[in-house]
Amino acid sequence: MATLQLSALQKRYANGFVALHGVDLAVEDGELIVIVGPSGCGKSTLLRTLAGLESITSGELTINERRVNELEPAERDIAMVFQNYALYPHMSVFDNMAYGLKNRGVPKDDIRRRVNATAELLDLGALLDRRPRQLSGGQRQRVAMGRAIVREPQVFLFDEPLSNLDAKLRVQMRLEIRRLQKRLKVTSVYVTHDQTEAMTLADRLVVMNAGRVEQCGTPMALYERPATRFVAGFIGSPAMNFLPVTVHGERLRLPDGGELALATGLESGSELTLGVRPEHLVALDEGDATTDAGAVIRATVEMIEPLGADTLAYARMEGLDELLVVRLHGEHAAGEGSVLRLWLSPERCHLFGDDDRRIEAHHATPVTGARG
Amino acid sequence: MTHFQRYRFTPWLLMAPQLIIVGVFFFWPALQAVEQAFYVEDAFGLSRQFAGLANFIAVLQEPDYYQALGTTVVFSLSVALGAMAIALLLAVQADRVLKGANAYKTLLIWPYAVAPAVAGVLWLFLFDPTLGLVSAALKALGIDWNHNLDGGQALLLVILASIWKQMSYNFVFFLAGLQAIPKSLLEAAAIDGAGPWRRFWTVTFPLLSPTSFFLLVMNSVYAFFETFGTIDTVTGGGPGGATTTLVYKVYQDGFIGQDLGASAAQSVLLMILVGLLTLIQFRFVERRVQY
Repeated sequence: MATLQLSALQKRYANGFVALHGVDLAVEDGELIVIVGPSGCGKSTLLRTLAGLESITSGELTINERRVNELEPAERDIAMVFQNYALYPHMSVFDNMAYGLKNRGVPKDDIRRRVNATAELLDLGALLDRRPRQLSGGQRQRVAMGRAIVREPQVFLFDEPLSNLDAKLRVQMRLEIRRLQKRLKVTSVYVTHDQTEAMTLADRLVVMNAGRVEQCGTPMALYERPATRFVAGFIGSPAMNFLPVTVHGERLRLPDGGELALATGLESGSELTLGVRPEHLVALDEGDATTDAGAVIRATVEMIEPLGADTLAYARMEGLDELLVVRLHGEHAAGEGSVLRLWLSPERCHLFGDDDRRIEAHHATPVTGARG
Repeated sequence: MTHFQRYRFTPWLLMAPQLIIVGVFFFWPALQAVEQAFYVEDAFGLSRQFAGLANFIAVLQEPDYYQALGTTVVFSLSVALGAMAIALLLAVQADRVLKGANAYKTLLIWPYAVAPAVAGVLWLFLFDPTLGLVSAALKALGIDWNHNLDGGQALLLVILASIWKQMSYNFVFFLAGLQAIPKSLLEAAAIDGAGPWRRFWTVTFPLLSPTSFFLLVMNSVYAFFETFGTIDTVTGGGPGGATTTLVYKVYQDGFIGQDLGASAAQSVLLMILVGLLTLIQFRFVERRVQY
């Protein structure tokens, strides 16, 4: 049972590089927080400062309202699962899990009981005498988890624990981590660069960029209302389409000359970025009615990526340098070279100013569905 | 297969330089030594007589031989363990240094570039009873240093010089071994509640064991054979045979005493001894370093 509080946490390296620019974050008891961001955004550094493997330059870190800035990793009562698992190669699975308990002077009988119970939980019972090199990737991963769990720490820290596994195993272990975390109710901080992993695991998601927290909230909140253009582009796959638009009174002028009714309250001529997700561009069939509230974009399909359930179409829109990505139904008959009529609903649009921050817009008329 | 059969002679051609060197400088003299060990030769090398095992029996009945054996055991153990322990300590320290690490490493590796005889002379000057800096300092501390008279001091001096010479070699390997240990293992151990001392003995040291084993074999061979130059320049085996190791005795009896048969018999025994020692190391120590 633990809460974790980061206040204006800053990390500056000896060479002057600032990896963390004052991070604020409060982690509730039993919560699974996922920190996600591109490589070099400071997410691993943040995790390492929580673990005590990196010193804190300024700011405060508390676990259960106790300041731990100056404490050694061992004194913080945390456990960490490393990306490369960091299993001790010269020790058996049993000894790997028992090591932390031995160091803390837990009686032998207790160690045996606790390691066996954890091994049971993780289905490692038959592997206790093996060495790490005799295990598969998934088994090593579970031993690494077991080593963390057996200590019954206040906080779990995960540093990209699934990135060395193949795709199928990753999905499986993702579910297992989620299940274990819910069952053990241990406060956890999980770092990953994989946004699918982040979305599926997180109670709350923290998106980091260049040493700063861009946004923090539930995965769906971040998906539905990204606070910055960076978050908008980072969450969701394939990434959001961005279109440069100009304000014209209560309407926005699109790159192809079309207009969209969206009131921003900004003066005419202001240049904004409009974001729309591939799944929110609706392909219209011939004769589908549209409402005044939306805009229809015409785009020529240049490439098709069939994924089975969905098909991704990369389409050229007039006036836009990049290709639009559109998520179509799997059965959609769009062929390369065909022209799509895409309906852009103002409800589904995200607007970002030139500072890349979200701008709230008001769409006058309620949208009536026109799904093809 | 057929592809490679066309190149039947090329592999031999490519290996020839190494094979010729090993053949001329190792197998040929070694075989000659074995042959020589069964003959008695006159001092001028003009005639010789087959003597069977007489050379071996004479050597094994000689008290001096056992003294040299004892000296060798003390000397080799001290040199091998001392050179490894000091090198490990220095490597661990150098591994922790962030600034100027390369300068430290270069300085620590330097002694390896010094020839054994030169290293010997260097230490000889430092400890010279009348001129030496160290012996003067020792005198000031009330210790009367004279390795020309005191056998124990003489042995200590050649051990020191030999350790100093070998330490660099061990340092390089230990440092490489330390750098091959993933940092995350030590971090995991730190989180697991192990202090620096415990981390070293339960994680670092066991993971260095392949390196340590390799160095144990190399250092044993070094202490047995390659310290000849150091001993020759520092003490010449004296005083009173106190620093005469087996390999030095081979030289003394053969090239100074001109008793080639006895010398050859000793070198054959020495080869057998080192062979056995290496075998033991591989059989019993290597088994413990697998992980």
